[in-house]
Amino acid sequence: MRKIASITLVLVLCTCSFVLAQTTITGKVTDSKSGDAVANASIQVKGTSIGTTTDAAGSYRLTLPQDAALLQVSSVGYTSKEVSVAGPVVNVLLVSSGTKNLDEIVVVGYGTKIKKDLTGNIAKVKGSDVQNMPVSNFNQALQGRAAGVFVEANNGKVGEGVKILIRGSGSISASNSPLYVIDGVPISTSTGSGNALADINFNDVESFDILKDASAAAIYGSRAANGVVLITTKKGRMGKTSFQVNTQYGFNKPTHLRGFLNAQEFVDLLREAAINSDNIDGVDPLDPGQYSGSWLQFAERRLTRYSGWSDWRTLQTNTNWEKLAFNDDASTAAVDISASGGTDKTKFYTSLSYTKQDGILIGNTFKRFSARLNLEQAVSEKFKLGINMAISQSTSGRVPNDNEFSTPMQIVALSPITPLRDLDGNVYNSPTTTYSNPYVDFVDGKYKSVTYRNIGNVFGQFNFTPSLFFRSEFGVDIQNQNDDQFYGFNTTYGDGSNGYGQSDWFKGLDYNLNNYLTYKKKSGLNHDIEAVLGMSYQKYNTVFANVFGEQFPVEQLQKLASAGVIKGGTSRESNSSFLSYFARANYKYNNKFLLSLSGRIDGSSVFGADSRFGFFPAVSAGWIISEENFLANSGFLSFLKLRGSWGLTGNADGFGEFAHLGLWSGSSYNGTGGLVSTQLANPDLRWEKSNQVDIGIDFGFLKNRISGEIDFYRRKTDDLIYNVPVTSSAGYTNKIVNIGAMENKGIEIVLNSDNIITRSFKWSTNLNISINRNKVLKLDGDQTTIPGNDGRYLNSLIVGESIGVFYGPKYAGVDPDNGDALFFLPDGKTTTNSYNDAGNFVVGNPNPKLIAGFGNTLNYKGVELSFLFQGVFGNQVQNGAGGFMTAGFDWFDNQTRDQLNRWQKPGDITDVPQLRLGGYGSDGIQASSRYIYDADYIRLKNITLAYNLPSSVLRHVKLSTAKLYITGVNLLTITDYPGWDPEVNTDYRAGNRNQGSDFYAAPQIKNISVGLNIGF
Amino acid sequence: MKKIFFILMLPAVLFTACSKELDINPTQSVNEDFVFSTDANIKAALNGAYDVVSSADLEGGNLQLYAELLGANGEISWVGTFNEPDEIFNKSIITTNSFVRDTWSAAYRAINICNNIIANINVVNEGDRDRVKGEALFLRGLMYFELVKLYGKPYSAGNAATNLGVQIVTVPTVNGEITEVQNVARSTVAQTYEQVISDLSSSKNLMGEDIGVYAGKYTAAAILSRVYLQMGDYTKARDEANDVIENAGAGLEELYSKAFNNTSPSAEDIFVLPVTAQDGANDLHTYWSIADFGARDGDVEINQNHFDLYDAADARLALFYDYGGGYVYSGKWLQQYKYIPLVRLAEMYLTRAEANFRLGTATGAAALADVNMVHERAGLPALTALTLDDIILERHLELAHEGQRIHDIKRLKQTADGFAYDANELVFPIPQRDVDAVGPSILVQNPGY
Repeated sequence: MRKIASITLVLVLCTCSFVLAQTTITGKVTDSKSGDAVANASIQVKGTSIGTTTDAAGSYRLTLPQDAALLQVSSVGYTSKEVSVAGPVVNVLLVSSGTKNLDEIVVVGYGTKIKKDLTGNIAKVKGSDVQNMPVSNFNQALQGRAAGVFVEANNGKVGEGVKILIRGSGSISASNSPLYVIDGVPISTSTGSGNALADINFNDVESFDILKDASAAAIYGSRAANGVVLITTKKGRMGKTSFQVNTQYGFNKPTHLRGFLNAQEFVDLLREAAINSDNIDGVDPLDPGQYSGSWLQFAERRLTRYSGWSDWRTLQTNTNWEKLAFNDDASTAAVDISASGGTDKTKFYTSLSYTKQDGILIGNTFKRFSARLNLEQAVSEKFKLGINMAISQSTSGRVPNDNEFSTPMQIVALSPITPLRDLDGNVYNSPTTTYSNPYVDFVDGKYKSVTYRNIGNVFGQFNFTPSLFFRSEFGVDIQNQNDDQFYGFNTTYGDGSNGYGQSDWFKGLDYNLNNYLTYKKKSGLNHDIEAVLGMSYQKYNTVFANVFGEQFPVEQLQKLASAGVIKGGTSRESNSSFLSYFARANYKYNNKFLLSLSGRIDGSSVFGADSRFGFFPAVSAGWIISEENFLANSGFLSFLKLRGSWGLTGNADGFGEFAHLGLWSGSSYNGTGGLVSTQLANPDLRWEKSNQVDIGIDFGFLKNRISGEIDFYRRKTDDLIYNVPVTSSAGYTNKIVNIGAMENKGIEIVLNSDNIITRSFKWSTNLNISINRNKVLKLDGDQTTIPGNDGRYLNSLIVGESIGVFYGPKYAGVDPDNGDALFFLPDGKTTTNSYNDAGNFVVGNPNPKLIAGFGNTLNYKGVELSFLFQGVFGNQVQNGAGGFMTAGFDWFDNQTRDQLNRWQKPGDITDVPQLRLGGYGSDGIQASSRYIYDADYIRLKNITLAYNLPSSVLRHVKLSTAKLYITGVNLLTITDYPGWDPEVNTDYRAGNRNQGSDFYAAPQIKNISVGLNIGF
Repeated sequence: MKKIFFILMLPAVLFTACSKELDINPTQSVNEDFVFSTDANIKAALNGAYDVVSSADLEGGNLQLYAELLGANGEISWVGTFNEPDEIFNKSIITTNSFVRDTWSAAYRAINICNNIIANINVVNEGDRDRVKGEALFLRGLMYFELVKLYGKPYSAGNAATNLGVQIVTVPTVNGEITEVQNVARSTVAQTYEQVISDLSSSKNLMGEDIGVYAGKYTAAAILSRVYLQMGDYTKARDEANDVIENAGAGLEELYSKAFNNTSPSAEDIFVLPVTAQDGANDLHTYWSIADFGARDGDVEINQNHFDLYDAADARLALFYDYGGGYVYSGKWLQQYKYIPLVRLAEMYLTRAEANFRLGTATGAAALADVNMVHERAGLPALTALTLDDIILERHLELAHEGQRIHDIKRLKQTADGFAYDANELVFPIPQRDVDAVGPSILVQNPGY
């Protein structure tokens, strides 16, 4: 201890002794081949600790001690160089080493590594690659950019749910989401409403490092079964303060409209359906004597009702309701300002950002203000401390879930013969409209959600010796959310109660403490050792409260203070915690052989006392074959590494905080409190455990102009947690148990190529392809099937099949003789018109077989074109609303255009059954393969054309960079899916098993924006 | 130096302090052991059992809706958009129908709460023990009765000793243990009725005189009269109804309309569910009323076929209302926060009348007098002579849209929309999820599914 102190003292004295006579030099560092500025290059006075880094324009300024003669200049991807100080201006040309990718710093849990030394699989996406992309959630920006990372937005609502699966679904009931860690703080993804990740301004992000295999992730133990996304925000660098300003403006449109029947078709087909039903009853409604009491009379009365002031017989009205669900003037806007810089002691990055995104749906908006300060202060040579802190305010105009009558997309069910407004200009509502008109809720209701979010940490790091340091981090993630809803006198909720108001409050507090020691030592030439030992404690707390009321005196008074009746309210709290101890050791021998061992013990409050702790070890090794003599001189093969890993991770998230207990909860009867059974006990409930093996090859050819990775993996999850259906006679419907096993096997291929590099023209391409096969290996006991047919959807669990496959009746088309819908009997050959007699088959799979991303960047003299195609293949989507919108006028909902091909007379060959009002006989509207469609797609995810002003111009206006750009998101989608958009999983039921469901889900957003980015 | 020492010690201190932090208890729920540890908690569980029984899946609206949709006979139409009631209305129910599934599981949830109460009855203070046990038995018997009526062949179909009823479980599920006791095969229709009668008769003997929103002696008698009527045991049906009329202290409201849309029990309510803005479900309102009163879109319309049954002067007609355009709805369920009558005294008069008439007796009163009590209250001149059909029609109109229709059709061996009273289509399927969970060889599906 005393020794350490004295070393510190010596170092401090040394530092002081340099403060003598000084001169200042300036200069610029450029790439010898392309002439581009090299940013972040390190300039150091040889033999001292004095140095600086270059700014974005490659420039530096450095104050030298008197006797300084040599500078050491180095940068990632370049061969280091020594230059002598020959005058006040020292410009440096650096030669590319061809190892830019390999020397990249990759963030791992509780530390960093250079990519070359990795033994696990980590995908890195640079913040700059997704900067300024006009999407609200960074996950959407990552779509298509990393192998093995499947991103799917539930629908096109802005600021709402986005699924991200790393190497497939690992769990049935527990969480399938990765763990998100921002600057060392695992953040909370739970929230009152909306998507907790939309609060994060990803323009502040330096890099996303996605830990995919178990060895990379196992340091996060039980939190890491679904991978980990490490988000590192931008930090300041020594040097002159630089500013970046970005402004952007654009427009949002839906990717696709599907189209419904127009007024003429609606009237014709509806009447046809009514006549068909009458004929089945033996009634000829066209005979005036039989008209009374007929389906036709019933239908025509409805047509009259739905026409409002207009006359359906003369087709006075032809309303395109689908178009009314969308906001024609949806726009996006963004302004970002950031500054970063520092001295040798203090470094900072700070930013202020505003972004606005109108959703494409009426009433759906998103706005976010955010600010960040990242500050690091060297207190002494040994001790530094700092803070990374972001605050944000997100404001959303929300629209109801896809299954609510008042959600904008359900407007498509209304009749095209209904005018939007009555003769007084009021928007028509039920009973003139077929159902409650969502447009009324848009005009006369509001749902505003405001979230304040504060994510940050403070840290201190003490270097005992150059090779041993201790770091302590305390992080918080605080969320305060208020949802205010008011529905006026004419709305679905407010009708009959003189308005409905509701105020929800959500508070989330997540705090985290990390303490760890790191030891790094290079002994001799051949041995590199790094070891980490530490602990982590994390606690989550959420509190929710709401109050709602009715009977408002006037619609202008919308707060509950004015409610005549406070109908009710509630408050809830939940808590959970984790306590963990972890260790990791890395060893590198001779720059060739790599070995890494890690282990973590996790304790979680969600399990009973006996099964609370789990141990999660991992081991990985690598061999850099290209360092071997027999390959060292290969001109073609420049890099080759073989690596393999095994690890065990766990999962304790997503199935409730007290799943092991037998619980009773409060209820009420006759104004008196009561207790009701709510959960069946399972004292044996234990961790889900996931075993993953990964074998990978990293390679580079032609001085690494072509480089890539190929990985094979198998992830097997045991002790799957599932809410198994049990006999209702027990008084419960489900029991949470560890039931079985599931596996994900796959291949990931990443290829990067610098196709052309010349001084004026550059072209690079990257491609990632991932194939994943998910398979349920075992369910409870002898059970091999947990069918999921709930009358509308078919997502089931079947041993030997992928999670959530569609299992149910197979549609066999239409009987040409009578227009009945047909299904296959269990033999799979003969057909029946009885749905109950139909056999059950696996009729589709919502899990994609292959996902891919294909990106290109082209540069020509300051003009830059980049585009990214993203594709999803081999999956199906079931339209749960098929029984309403593709249902042969089973009821009065307007129908999809394919219904024009209905069966009309004996001998007609079609797959659309006879139209029958009122659900007569076999009309095939039940859940079956009829409503399952292929949902493969290829999408032009992002395209950007930018022009960088030349430095000759910039010098005059005192700017270091200026970029004018136009960017587009989802501009082109190629698919056979007949619905709105193949990227869909309706929000109200989205889950691990419940995938690939469409139900009036909004199409994705198509955006085109222009922007200006300047730096000075 | 001390500082460094402190920094090094910090994690050690934190390590030990944190272990306790893993002990976290729920804030919205309590452990099952705790529920059955005190008198007050068990009484709260009894109130919880009422809450489940009064939920929308059960007596809060759906049981009544099913009975009326199955027995529609052209008198009413389901015009709503939900597929599940539509399947019931069309008698083409699929085994995955979620309404059918949820009603089944809600009934067993109530039964399990009752089983827990009965098993732990000795924890209840001695003075209240009989009442608490009686109410638990009553609710259990009521649930088994509702289940067997919908999920089993009617008693009137004969073969009650072989036709399948429902699964009978009379012990509580605890510690998460599910064994053969719960994964049990279906009892027969006769066995299920035996269980119902046993529970209701025992409860009748244990409970007090008070009736209304909680069950008492005469609530049990009223349900028993329904049970015996289903079984065609007119003597017992008459006697139970007579017991209610003579002793329950209820009286007919002066006006028929006063029996509905109340914010407290009416004079003729024998059993009534409280619904206020604060609690209670009213799905009768949801489906039978219209958007102007905060309901759905008038999912159940009343047709001319129904009105054809009435005398034009019948005051009961006044309760129906026209929405414009010829759409007529029942006004019994007009408003949401109104009490839902489950058994009214009028039904007891009609049950006693029918039983007396069939038996040729005049227990309590002559059949004609009982029918006229109801008939004259509807503003009609007293009948002077009586046929069985008169009594059946009076019952049909008096109890219209209150959830008795299909059960009367079945016991009277009438037809429903062309289906024979004992047709497979008029019996619900056992929910597919339960058949899957227990196994189709043990939990046998109903014929026709």
